[in-house]
Amino acid sequence: MIHLHDVSVVIPAHRRGEADRTLLADVSLTLDERRICVIGANGSGKSTLLRLMNGLRLPSSGRVTASGFDTVNQGRDVRNAVGFIFTDPLAQLVMSTPIEDVELSLRSRIKGRPARAARALELLEERGLGRLAHQSIHDLSGGERQLVALTSVLAVEPSIIVADEPTTLLDLRNKLALRATFAALPQQLIYSTHDLGVAADADRVLVIDDGRIVADDEPGRAIRHYEQLMGVRS
Amino acid sequence: MNPHAGVLGIHEPGDGWLFRIPVGIKYLLLLALVVPVLAFASWPVTLGALLVVLLFHRTSGIRLSRALRLGWMMWSILAVLALFHLVTLAPEAAFVRPGNLLVAILAARMLTLTTGAPELLDALVWALRPLRFLGVNPDQVALAVALMIRSIPYLLGSVDDARMAARARGLERNPALLLTPVIIGAVAYAERSGEALMARGIGERTLAD
Repeated sequence: MIHLHDVSVVIPAHRRGEADRTLLADVSLTLDERRICVIGANGSGKSTLLRLMNGLRLPSSGRVTASGFDTVNQGRDVRNAVGFIFTDPLAQLVMSTPIEDVELSLRSRIKGRPARAARALELLEERGLGRLAHQSIHDLSGGERQLVALTSVLAVEPSIIVADEPTTLLDLRNKLALRATFAALPQQLIYSTHDLGVAADADRVLVIDDGRIVADDEPGRAIRHYEQLMGVRS
Repeated sequence: MNPHAGVLGIHEPGDGWLFRIPVGIKYLLLLALVVPVLAFASWPVTLGALLVVLLFHRTSGIRLSRALRLGWMMWSILAVLALFHLVTLAPEAAFVRPGNLLVAILAARMLTLTTGAPELLDALVWALRPLRFLGVNPDQVALAVALMIRSIPYLLGSVDDARMAARARGLERNPALLLTPVIIGAVAYAERSGEALMARGIGERTLAD
């Protein structure tokens, strides 16, 4: 479960006379549903909101806790509890091959290398990626990379997964495959998307506009609100 | 060829002798090949070392075509180096200088093609342990080295990407248009890597604990 209590994120002005830039304003949320989606226009504050949950961004004011850990004072515990998936998996995969990347995640958990390598391969095989274990990550398709990134995140057994537009760079087939994978995850999943079909998979949808939560509802109503906001629906 | 996989290559499991020996021995072999060619700088030593390092690859089950797949940029650098010495009427240097560089690269490839990054990390952590009393954190240094190894092919690949982008705009002769995106890309890559590590909680704890 994630709590945001009166959270604001403000970037101070670089020059005198300029106004501070508010990325997120006075957000208070308790997120405990199994599937939560955040939708909003580009630059509305979706990524900032999601990054707060893993401690990648810290609040300028207010407090964020994940699984009871404060993101400011207990960052290490927060990141053990909350796995984060980036839009572009290439930005997330640190090592050259899938098995090396998953092994990197496992270093703190499994000391012996043979056991670590075996576990990494097992985790990749569980996601149908065993045959790609030793390929360069640059030779994988977008969908395969995103699944490898997910495997690396799941390797540390987080209780919450936060994903920032995970389907944006994927073609239809890979998007459907990732949706099916997400649907089967036992963890709480909080994700952002521009795809309203993907948003409809959630139990709860937050609509964010100009750094403020303007709708917080079940998918049908929240998506309608978003479409009105975007001028798609009258 | 994937430009991001060039120069140091990608490790693939194998059962040749280089794959089976401990990583510490591979480091020693690397030094045994590179130090003499640099110390003596003579063509028989360079030629001998080249033959030996290629023999090491071949007898370990690595095809010569794979061993020598360094990417167009590295071959271009070697060719320019040889050409420069030929033009300056130093035929021995035209073989020794690029030859020594090639020996060093092939010796490094001998290590990276037969050893996975996690194994290299473990070996570095082990080797750096004596420096703990100087306040050095072996885990973080090893991680930094592993990231550096991963970054080299990435950055060379980004040069290739920038070159193609410049060519698409008919501006490939303008070095500023080649260098600027590479430098900006390198900084962005470093930022992204740091963020990715932070998101996974790597680096804020010791790797081996």
